[in-house]
Amino acid sequence: MLRLENVGLRYGDGPEILRDVSFAVHTGDFYFLTGPSGAGKSSLLKLLFLALRPTRGTLRIFGEDVSNLSHGKLPPIRRRIGVVFQEFRLLDHLSTYDNVALPLRVAGKSEASYRRDVMDLLDWVGLAEKSSDLPPVLSGGEKQRAAIARAVIAKPQLLLADEPTGNVDPVLAKRLLHLFLELNRLGTTMLIATHDKGLVRQAERPVLHLEQGALNLQ
Amino acid sequence: MKPGAIIPATAASLTSLTVTMAVMCYLACLAIGALIIVDRAVSSWTSGLAREMTVQVRVVRDADITTEVEKARGIVAAFPGILEADVLDESEGAKLLEPWLGTRSLEGLPVPRLIRVVSDIDHPPDVAALESELSQVKGARLDTHQKWEAELTRMARALSAVSYAILLLISISAVAIVVFATRAVLQANRHIVDLLHLVGARDSYIARQIDGRFLRTGLLSGFIGVGLGLFTFLLLGLLGGGSESGVAAASRGLLFSAPSIAIWSYGFLFAVPIAATLICLITARVTLMRRLGVIT
Repeated sequence: MLRLENVGLRYGDGPEILRDVSFAVHTGDFYFLTGPSGAGKSSLLKLLFLALRPTRGTLRIFGEDVSNLSHGKLPPIRRRIGVVFQEFRLLDHLSTYDNVALPLRVAGKSEASYRRDVMDLLDWVGLAEKSSDLPPVLSGGEKQRAAIARAVIAKPQLLLADEPTGNVDPVLAKRLLHLFLELNRLGTTMLIATHDKGLVRQAERPVLHLEQGALNLQ
Repeated sequence: MKPGAIIPATAASLTSLTVTMAVMCYLACLAIGALIIVDRAVSSWTSGLAREMTVQVRVVRDADITTEVEKARGIVAAFPGILEADVLDESEGAKLLEPWLGTRSLEGLPVPRLIRVVSDIDHPPDVAALESELSQVKGARLDTHQKWEAELTRMARALSAVSYAILLLISISAVAIVVFATRAVLQANRHIVDLLHLVGARDSYIARQIDGRFLRTGLLSGFIGVGLGLFTFLLLGLLGGGSESGVAAASRGLLFSAPSIAIWSYGFLFAVPIAATLICLITARVTLMRRLGVIT
């Protein structure tokens, strides 16, 4: 599903953020991505959700070499990837419901066809009563849950999450972990970047550790 | 529940673009109006000139001018394609010379006599043959006003070229400001565009979320511009008094001519909102697709 071979990344003329990163993730895998702040976790995730291109090496996603893929061929691949952004990236002018439904709307589905799914998911993450609220009035934890709901609503084959439990209490973190494990059980491949050692311990899944731009499997 | 607009209208308002485009459309209306007025005036003048000719009979030594004038009138009146041939009497001739010679008596001066000739516009006479026949008359010369007609046509062409150039400049300026406004809208909504890309939106989908606003802007500014243009022509027509010529009469003619003619005037004027809408829509779409293509 995901294969990186000697991938390097640098911003402009700066130093290499990622150096010779090589690993493969297969369908149904569940990995955590850990490492100290500034190790390049977010940059690696940006590569994987195609916000950046590697400056060297090969990156294959769903069997396709995306290192030099043309702009027009990116949308179908991106629709198969769900992303939970560290900073949520909810649209403040849209209701929680509209934010969560965004990937389905972008895919051209009608509101009638996804309404029930969106409401069910909002109910599951405890935001059913906030469906009409705008993000600025949501708490940090509620925003986090809305962002997660948006990432999973289109049933992506690959879910990438950057600190998905960073703003929620331990009880909700555990609940979200169960959601991720359930999604993984249903076939979604997971890669979760986190500092939360408790979450990693609870899940008992392999860990990719990134330090000084180099990746190791722990 | 109706989904909210993905790109909010509040970020990067298009009010300034609407005002600027309305002014552009107003100027385009004035240029088109001027084009129509010039075209009609020249058609009217040249058709008048084409219908009328003048035979001038100069005083020639050893010839009786009255006899020569009558001889010329006879030739002209009998010529095929001529409807009227009227000799202007001496007092009428003197009146024509008044701007140069004043009201003093012209007695004793060798003032030429004139014959006003009206030709059949549908079956025009053979001017060369008529000139040839008039050569039998001493001192006679046929003036077809071709020189004046050519001058008028040249002037009309120059004015039309200026109007077309103004329309071209207005269109280029409109395209430039729409490009600028589109970039501003894109920049103000960059975080939304980035997110849409990341959730798998195609460029055409994102462009559709934005270019609808440019379509509405084009239509609104076009109708404001044409409305102001028509109001200006109405004002010129009303304030210019009841004279039969001049800008006021031309403005009235533009607005209140016969339906068969007015339909063209209004058709050209109402092409302005259509052109403004197309310029806004196409320019915005092309700009969006080009800019979105370089945003990862």
